[in-house]
Amino acid sequence: MLLKGETRSMAKYRYIGVPTPRKDAVDIVTGRAKYVNDVKLPGMLIGKVLRSPHPHAIIKSINTEEAKKLPGVKAVLTYKDVPEWKVGMPIHLRVLDRKVRFVGDAVALVAAETEEVALQALDLIDVEYEVLPAVYDIEEALKPDAPQLYDEFPNNICPLGVPWFGSSRIPGGLQELIMGDVEKGFEEADVVFEGTFRYDKFPNPLPPEPPGALAMWESPNTVHVWLPSQGIYIDEVSLYYLMKRKVNVIVHGCQCGGSYGSKGTILPLALQAIVLAKAAGRPVKLCYTKEEHLTAFTLRLESVVHAKIGMKKDGSVTAVKGEWLLNTGYYNAVGQAQIAVGLGEIQLILRCKNWNFKPKLVFTNRCNSGWIRGFGGQELEAAFLPLLYQTMAKLDIDPVEFFKKNVIKSGEGYFWRDGEWYTSRVPDFTKAIDKGAQVFGWKEKWKGWLKPTAVNGSKRVGVGVGVHGNADVGEDVAEAHVHIEPDQTVTLFVAVPEQGGGQRSNLCKMVAEVLQIPLENVRISPPDSNINPYEFGLVGSRGTYAIGSAVINAAEDAKRKLFEMASRQLNTDPGNLETYDGMIYVKDDPNRQITWRKAMGVTRTIIGYGRFESDFSLNNFLMTFVEVEVDTETGFARLLRVVNATDVGQIIDPPSLENQLNGCLGSAGIDTALFEETILDKSTGRILTANLIDYKWRVFSDLPELHNVVLETPFPSHRFGAVGVGEIATSPGPPAVLMAISNAIGKWFFTYPATPNRILRALGKV
Amino acid sequence: MKNYERELNEAAKPGGAANKLKEFSVPSSTIKLIVNREPYELLVGKDVYPWHTLAYTLREKLGLTGTKIGCDSGACGACTVLMDGKPVLSCLILTIECDGKSITTIEGLGDPVSGKLDPIQQAFVNHTAFQCGFCTPGIIMSLKALLNKNPNPAVEDVKRALAGHYCRCISHYHVLKAVVDVIKRGNEKHGKV
Amino acid sequence: MKPFHHVNAKSVEEVIQLLKMYGGKARVIAGGTDLIPVLKAEILPEYPEIIINIKTVPNLDYVIEDAEGLKIGALTKLEEIGESPIIKGKYRLLADAANSVATPQIRNMGTIGGNICQDVRCWYYRYPHNIGGRIQCYLKGGKKCYALMGENRYHSIFGGYKGCVAVNASDIAIALVALNAKIKVAGSTGNRIIHAEEFFSSLRNILKPDEVVTEIQIPQPSSTAKQVYLKFRLREAIDFPIVSIASVIDMDGEVCKDARIVLGAIAPTPIRAEKAEQMIKGKVIDVAVAEKAADAAVEGAVPLGMNAYKVEIAKALVKRVLLS
Repeated sequence: MLLKGETRSMAKYRYIGVPTPRKDAVDIVTGRAKYVNDVKLPGMLIGKVLRSPHPHAIIKSINTEEAKKLPGVKAVLTYKDVPEWKVGMPIHLRVLDRKVRFVGDAVALVAAETEEVALQALDLIDVEYEVLPAVYDIEEALKPDAPQLYDEFPNNICPLGVPWFGSSRIPGGLQELIMGDVEKGFEEADVVFEGTFRYDKFPNPLPPEPPGALAMWESPNTVHVWLPSQGIYIDEVSLYYLMKRKVNVIVHGCQCGGSYGSKGTILPLALQAIVLAKAAGRPVKLCYTKEEHLTAFTLRLESVVHAKIGMKKDGSVTAVKGEWLLNTGYYNAVGQAQIAVGLGEIQLILRCKNWNFKPKLVFTNRCNSGWIRGFGGQELEAAFLPLLYQTMAKLDIDPVEFFKKNVIKSGEGYFWRDGEWYTSRVPDFTKAIDKGAQVFGWKEKWKGWLKPTAVNGSKRVGVGVGVHGNADVGEDVAEAHVHIEPDQTVTLFVAVPEQGGGQRSNLCKMVAEVLQIPLENVRISPPDSNINPYEFGLVGSRGTYAIGSAVINAAEDAKRKLFEMASRQLNTDPGNLETYDGMIYVKDDPNRQITWRKAMGVTRTIIGYGRFESDFSLNNFLMTFVEVEVDTETGFARLLRVVNATDVGQIIDPPSLENQLNGCLGSAGIDTALFEETILDKSTGRILTANLIDYKWRVFSDLPELHNVVLETPFPSHRFGAVGVGEIATSPGPPAVLMAISNAIGKWFFTYPATPNRILRALGKV
Repeated sequence: MKNYERELNEAAKPGGAANKLKEFSVPSSTIKLIVNREPYELLVGKDVYPWHTLAYTLREKLGLTGTKIGCDSGACGACTVLMDGKPVLSCLILTIECDGKSITTIEGLGDPVSGKLDPIQQAFVNHTAFQCGFCTPGIIMSLKALLNKNPNPAVEDVKRALAGHYCRCISHYHVLKAVVDVIKRGNEKHGKV
Repeated sequence: MKPFHHVNAKSVEEVIQLLKMYGGKARVIAGGTDLIPVLKAEILPEYPEIIINIKTVPNLDYVIEDAEGLKIGALTKLEEIGESPIIKGKYRLLADAANSVATPQIRNMGTIGGNICQDVRCWYYRYPHNIGGRIQCYLKGGKKCYALMGENRYHSIFGGYKGCVAVNASDIAIALVALNAKIKVAGSTGNRIIHAEEFFSSLRNILKPDEVVTEIQIPQPSSTAKQVYLKFRLREAIDFPIVSIASVIDMDGEVCKDARIVLGAIAPTPIRAEKAEQMIKGKVIDVAVAEKAADAAVEGAVPLGMNAYKVEIAKALVKRVLLS
């Protein structure tokens, strides 16, 4: 249920804030929407990957002769056959390597006419390994005698810094959080707490559609790639650079069956399809199975926080000193970016002047971590907030009051990911907090730290709260074109794929609103990189503000040009004109009017251009309240109720926004505190949660009561005053659940996820 | 009873995988299916092989890609189709065992000529009861079967009927809203309140 | 999937003949809900040459009640069993168990015969071949049981069967044992009728390689018996039980006359909680008695490194069925 809070914005819109059907709604409900595995090309082959049985090994010999002879097999590739293309930051991962670094690592690639032939070919590849010792724990991996995954990364430490975040002033951007004087801060504190917390089960965001790619070489220098992408330009530019700028890459965004960030780490898979297609001389589609999706594709970062926190009775935080260790598995795509953003995000929810907080990014022999909704901030806060809670508890501070005091306010500053200092321009989030608390009934339900809200026999109920915020709502560049036709149809050219947020439709609404034409008249171009201008991608909830701004600017630019033409015929200043449903009229004399067709002439298209440059001075915010019931006889924790509270400035599409906020139960979010986890067996290096029965996810019959409280206090973003919020939906929940369980059972509960075995152990029954 | 001696001997001959596949390429029988009221005749050994699942046949041979393959092991429900009116997992069904069966896929709902959608599809459009849409065709098929059997189910019955559907974007709440809407309209149509 | 031959069997005799002829290289397919994923994941070292479709054998799909009790054909779908008015009435334990299985789609496809013959669910046993190779665990003829000292949170708390500590995860199995059912089986040496407890007395079941289940027979339970089925799992659907319990407790007013209490998913076989059954016979079941019976039910449990919590849950379930 979407509960709208007080609306400060007095603007009434035709489409903005009004529920409208999505542009792709009919395609989706009829099954016509084309996901990557639905795309077929003539002569297409099926690709399969031979995977390593060892967590760490060197390939001593590999023989593919028998596999190549199998009728129907068109290409078999090993590390000896592939170009020296590498991915990662800094680049380190080859398409195929002589070394394998996790159980499931790619050893060879096969392209064949059918899946069954490809599977039989995999069986015919003969590999001899020299097995090396493996390491799975962060702390073990950092030891001097630990097995080394990469020669270029001693002690398995991945260097920090993101080249494209930084500047000449601050190369590499934000890499650690150091400001003020922590020792002085601890002296000023009324209480100092030190502890360690782990968000260490690297859960899987697990979109329903497994990742896949379809590659087709058009010429020796041009390759087309179909991807379930979130950012077709991120993919295109990355591929272009890692193929050493010798190949033109065109990315076609397919309807994406969920990503939640994870398909941003699709480059290794895309390269596998690309090299197979080149070797076979035919298009190759490589789609992972769900088993591969669970064991050989993007997982959350493992996060360990050691921190010492100084706090005063009034809830102000005087100092934070500590270390943030991250485990990225065998491959690092954007860990440093997640660190930079995470370090920025923690400042948005904690007003502290003295920091000494240092991260370390570490490789281990398991499947890779990568971009996922929450982007570093979730991993940090899931481990950090419980330490904060324990500090608050020492002073008996109500956590909601704490967050009200500590959430960033307009005029306050923070370092963002580029290392620069920004001054916030956001509205007052405490209003959303108050409203959320009221709807949740926080005053009545909160009984104090480690005190249950209610006790019914063996069942105990507890409440908890968590927060998150992200200043990437205005990250990165966006460009758009708007084409106006004389028959009042408008085409929006913007490189935005559809992965569930409904952004393609929302951007059309913005165009329709600016140009005041029927929404059906607005079309949006297919998300192909060769026909759209540059646009970074759908990440960090930037769609509403960043992409929206470019789109609005483009629509306004087109409108300006249209009015220029009309003003000559209507004999007035363009500033005196308005338009409605394809009719341009003079504001103070509406009877003087002409159609778009008359204004432009039939042999013309008007093209408007819009561009948005990064703005890190705005952030979104979300607070999540949870109510959890613990059965102390069986250890079963049930999520009863969730209330999300936020302020988005202006809702663009109510059902889409609500869907995004409901998403807090998915994408490895709240449920990573209840039952979601990836289980890695250290004796074999294998991930045991290798199917959808063993990996636990929320089912239809298990839905908690869920309310979303959304205030609309205009942000200084663009003409609609809106910012996005979907990306942060998953992050406040996990620590909130641990707080609720701790309160329910009357003692601190310290493990993710809170499965019956762990709760019974915490209760001393095991 | 058929004599399997010959086949056993053939299978036991040395020659490895190549011979194995040649064995299967001799067209033998036909499988007659009705899919979305259209009859199809599939030749075993040419259009369909014993190890092809119904999901594979629908998507790759009949071009009906509306039915999605998510986990391919029966745990996500994305491949749900109706067989003789009941929701089943097409990724776990062998096409050659479907002789004589009547199958409905998502493409079989609504009228492609007039563009009119099935009431369930229309309600999903009206309520944006999806996000990425991957699970949507499967969910709609289960709902179709449920509402055909019981046009007025309780919300708990709807949740149970959808228990086999993996939706990760969490469109569940809007799906339930859409279903409540369909039930209400159905009741109004039949004069029920 | 990799290729295989397929045949639509016309009779039970044909199925048995084929099983005999092909040795271990043939598999019977009913609903396919367990077999197909097993084949796709290639968890077993031997991939079948031929799949024998038993669904085309007539007269194996029925629910008949007669004077002795209930007769259910092996091919009867779980959905039908869960919805049958006869079963929901006098044999509701079985209906509840059937309705708790997996998901609606699987219940539309899965058969009772297939359910009781399902293969072991241990994540080492079930590890997919295409992610670095299947795990050749002890049960598959390998040298080691990986669960014993490994990730065994879902495994047996009552020891192993010939070195394998996986559990019998079938919901129907414990319902049949609690209902004192018999299972009719056909094989090359003829038909036999086996008590459910004996049928499940090994890991998986005691069928010989050329035998198939044809019928389930359930005697009419006492009309004064309360039948309670509880399934403890992390989620309300899909999941196999972590601990399950099926109980038929015959009451004479407030006093317990007779009891059959069967615990599931805690051992390689269903476990009759005989000590608990003895303890409550002839007594009024109050909280104290229930708690004592719960303790008795788990007496002798030998939990592994990560599954001692199952002992607590088993006790809680016993207590709950007794006090329900």
